[in-house]
Amino acid sequence: MLITADGNHHTGEPMNTGVAVQSVVQIGDLIPRGTRMNVFQSIYWVFIALGTLVGVVVVGYMVYNAYRYREGGSHAEDGDDERPTLGEIPTGGGKGRKLFLSFGLSAVVVISLIVWTYGTLLYVESPVAAQESDQEELEIQVVGRQFSWEFVYPNGHSSFELVVPEDTRVRLVVTSDDVFHNFGIPSLRAKTDAIPGQTTETWFIADQPGEYQAHCYELCGAGHSGMNANVVVMQQSAYDEWYANTSGGGGNTSDTSGNASENGTRTTSEALTA
Amino acid sequence: MSSIKRWFVTTNHKDVGILYLVTSLFFLIFGGLLALLIRVQLLQPGGTILADAAYNQTVSAHGLLMVFWFLSPLAFGFANYVVPLQIGAKDLAFPRLNALSYWLYLFSGLLLGISFFQGGTFSGGWTMYAPLNVPIYMPSIGATTTVLALLMFTASVTVGGVNFLTTIHRMRAPGLTLRRMPLFTWTILLTVWMMLFAFAALLAALMILSSDRIFGTVYFAATDSGGSVLWAHLFWFFGHPEVYIVFFPALGVMAEIFQTFTGRRIVGRKWFIASMVLVAIQSFMVWMHHMFLTSINLPVKTLFMATTIGISLPFDLMVFALIYTTIKGKIRFKTPFLFAFGALVLFILGGITGVFLGAVVLDYEFRGTYWVVAHFHYVMVGGVTGLVGGIYYWYPKITGKMYDEFLGKVHFALYFVGFNLVYFPMFLAWETPRRVFDYPEAFTPWHQLATVGAFVLGASFLVMFYNLYASLVTGEDAAPDPWRYVTTAEWAVPSPPPLENYPGRPSYDGGALQFLEEAGPRPSGIAAADGGAGTRTDGGVAATADGALAGGHDHEESHASIWPFGLSLAGFFLLVGLSGVNTGGTAYVALTVAGFALGAYTLVGMARESQTFHGPSGPFGESWPFAKVENMKLGMWFFLASDVVLFGAFIGSYVFIRVAFGWGAWEPVPHDPVPGLMNTYILLTSSFAVVMAMVAAQKGSRNGVVASLLVTILLGIGFLGNKGIEWLELFHEGLWLSTNVQTSTFFLTTGLHAAHVIVGLFIALYMLVRAWGGAYLDDDKPVEYFGLYWHFVDIVWLFLFPLFYIL
Repeated sequence: MLITADGNHHTGEPMNTGVAVQSVVQIGDLIPRGTRMNVFQSIYWVFIALGTLVGVVVVGYMVYNAYRYREGGSHAEDGDDERPTLGEIPTGGGKGRKLFLSFGLSAVVVISLIVWTYGTLLYVESPVAAQESDQEELEIQVVGRQFSWEFVYPNGHSSFELVVPEDTRVRLVVTSDDVFHNFGIPSLRAKTDAIPGQTTETWFIADQPGEYQAHCYELCGAGHSGMNANVVVMQQSAYDEWYANTSGGGGNTSDTSGNASENGTRTTSEALTA
Repeated sequence: MSSIKRWFVTTNHKDVGILYLVTSLFFLIFGGLLALLIRVQLLQPGGTILADAAYNQTVSAHGLLMVFWFLSPLAFGFANYVVPLQIGAKDLAFPRLNALSYWLYLFSGLLLGISFFQGGTFSGGWTMYAPLNVPIYMPSIGATTTVLALLMFTASVTVGGVNFLTTIHRMRAPGLTLRRMPLFTWTILLTVWMMLFAFAALLAALMILSSDRIFGTVYFAATDSGGSVLWAHLFWFFGHPEVYIVFFPALGVMAEIFQTFTGRRIVGRKWFIASMVLVAIQSFMVWMHHMFLTSINLPVKTLFMATTIGISLPFDLMVFALIYTTIKGKIRFKTPFLFAFGALVLFILGGITGVFLGAVVLDYEFRGTYWVVAHFHYVMVGGVTGLVGGIYYWYPKITGKMYDEFLGKVHFALYFVGFNLVYFPMFLAWETPRRVFDYPEAFTPWHQLATVGAFVLGASFLVMFYNLYASLVTGEDAAPDPWRYVTTAEWAVPSPPPLENYPGRPSYDGGALQFLEEAGPRPSGIAAADGGAGTRTDGGVAATADGALAGGHDHEESHASIWPFGLSLAGFFLLVGLSGVNTGGTAYVALTVAGFALGAYTLVGMARESQTFHGPSGPFGESWPFAKVENMKLGMWFFLASDVVLFGAFIGSYVFIRVAFGWGAWEPVPHDPVPGLMNTYILLTSSFAVVMAMVAAQKGSRNGVVASLLVTILLGIGFLGNKGIEWLELFHEGLWLSTNVQTSTFFLTTGLHAAHVIVGLFIALYMLVRAWGGAYLDDDKPVEYFGLYWHFVDIVWLFLFPLFYIL
């Protein structure tokens, strides 16, 4: 509990997780990696498939038994020699072995699923350690406030639209200026809490240029529903050009804080009319 | 007694059970209408019926009402009615406290209703995340009232929890050991154990929040010192056990219904119970899985992922146990079974989708979306489904009339279709952000299906209400056992059961339930021993349950008490007043004062009544492991256990904030530890004085009791005086509650302790007056119970002093 008071250790100790990831890598290529979308999709669909299967089997079995042993059915007399009586001391019926067999089976399924995803969690928590090349990484500060998102680039440029290059890992360092928010870009599968007084981190790699939306995922006040931001993914060259035009703009940085509320209102009203 | 007055003064567990049931269904309608409003808003993207603040208020009040004011109270209606019958008790251990729980619950719900008219109710979601919950961001008085309503509800739960724990642990029929208890009683026992600790943590969180809102302390606004995350920890430490608190009673109802309508004993009964015990304990070790995206680090995430998966496994076993119970059954598809069976299907779906959330990588993306909304509705409303089965199951027992089976089946059909129509599309449209009144066009069909489903689900309850109401008049009379293959004791007595519950003394000693002839009149000493704070009253009091059999009317009269209602009304006035007292409005100040005055008056009235009002008296059959502890003492121990968690949460909050601030950089607020040290000695001395009072009472020395109590009181006043001087000095230095996070934690935590001292002083003062009249000489137990409390308060100070003065 105490450890969590410190907001700066979101990724854990890179050393430990690094070692862990390496050992996991040796297990095989079962662990999904790549962009956050890849990771999510592969795990999600395995869960959906298995979940549906388990659900259909279990509920089907329930309904089958309920029908088979219905009153008036041909099997209804099967257990007539051992029906409970009023006032007896409660005891259990038999079939303990069958119970433990099913329980054991379900435990194996659930635990192996979770262990499998844990390898991916290690990757998501510490992608650098798992990476082959020394690919460049872009770090952007995200500040949430009622009811807008501000993005601050390494050169000090700040804006209310997140512009990033494709195929580059973008690391978001997220905080809040007022209440508890949560920053998420659903299509890029990046999400993390924006907590006042603390920073958290998340990352994503966008492999398709285009426009995306970021939302707030924690109820944060009257304008919560409209607390969105545009995310623009550009080709590397276009991004470089865009970024070069911002780098000189020290003045750009200073006047954005004044624009914050105005811009926030605009975003909100846009969402309302959308 | 007129029929209306009866309901205001009743303390009988069956009456209180009915009050709980009816009231909870009223709040179901309230919360349900809000849900329909939400679904109407979501009929079209870009809807504007409820925008911004109105939508936020609606979702918040809907969540709070359903979780707190509907689900648990519905379960506790059954618990009140059925548990004493199942264990062979004539009533709960403390009948007046039971009535008090109910009235506190009712008035807390009214408070929530009032909050809508005080500038808007709370609008930060039922999770009430900080710092949105403090006045800077949510200034309405109604938001404060909501927090106070929840505080009052928590008081109700704590009182009720102590009562049920004492009852179930101490008052079982001979031969009914814990292992032999019916499953519904087992689920209630575990539920109240979880409640005792979980709600104490919530109480701490709400007290701090109320103080932030009313007195201006800065716990949750202190975001630089972890205030925001502190709330999340406190809330979820309560919030996750709360999931099982609302679900366990439903599980118990389902287990009973499955056994009855399949005509089978449950498979693996002892493992079923063991699983529930495991879940109850482990439920306090999973809370951070609600916080995977906060700044907690990977090792902590891993730990909580493991405990979360661990807690899901016992449920697998329980589900399979219920399924296998149907094998070789003779299954009758009556309405209760349909609902229980449906509940199991829904719970399985809720469980499977919960495993998704247990995978942290998936949880990251599901956070704040409709996946979570759909999942917990499948689990929680799945639980409601089981409880609705309980309504039909016990309706004949409670009313003595059969409901209409056809309408019951119609209700189930509409309910089950409506349920899946409203919640299943939410999985398909799971990318919709939660608590947002708008959504992308692409999800329109799913949300429209959900809206239709919500109305079908709502309409199904109209069928139920009609059925239950009409059957009261036109239903056939119900036999004691209308179902066959039931086992538990409530079916062995007429429907509805007579006031005294049983035709004789229930016992399982012979290997099955028997009603033994009543033993002759017992020595009244035993009867009074459990009565609590009163002196022994020789004869004359027909209040014991045995007396009731002799003369039913007397029983009713002597078991009537208006004080639980009065005290709750006083609390209601007080809290309405407190909600706006810092605005300085005359009405608010007047209500606060009036509430205090009425509260004091009713407390004295209730205490005086204790001399003639006695709960069920022993000796009881099975009381393991508390055979040697009387009810009153055990109740006191349970209360103190919850108080330990309350102070633990306060001290934990202080340590959390201080660590986030920087432990070493934090200066203790009082520059001078000497007044604190003096107070330590004063309190320790006062503890000896209480011991002296007990010794004097045992020796039969009236003067000794009076003198020792007087010394205790004087020392207590000395403690407060000394503290008052210290606080006054700090105030003159400009240090007060709202100055900074150091002063906030100091004044609030030591202030909570001082409040405990003040309460103790009032009790001691009351006892002094009675001791002067010669009380306690032949029964020193009240002195002993007061001593327990007083020693506890002293021990707390031994922790607070070093933490706030030295370190």
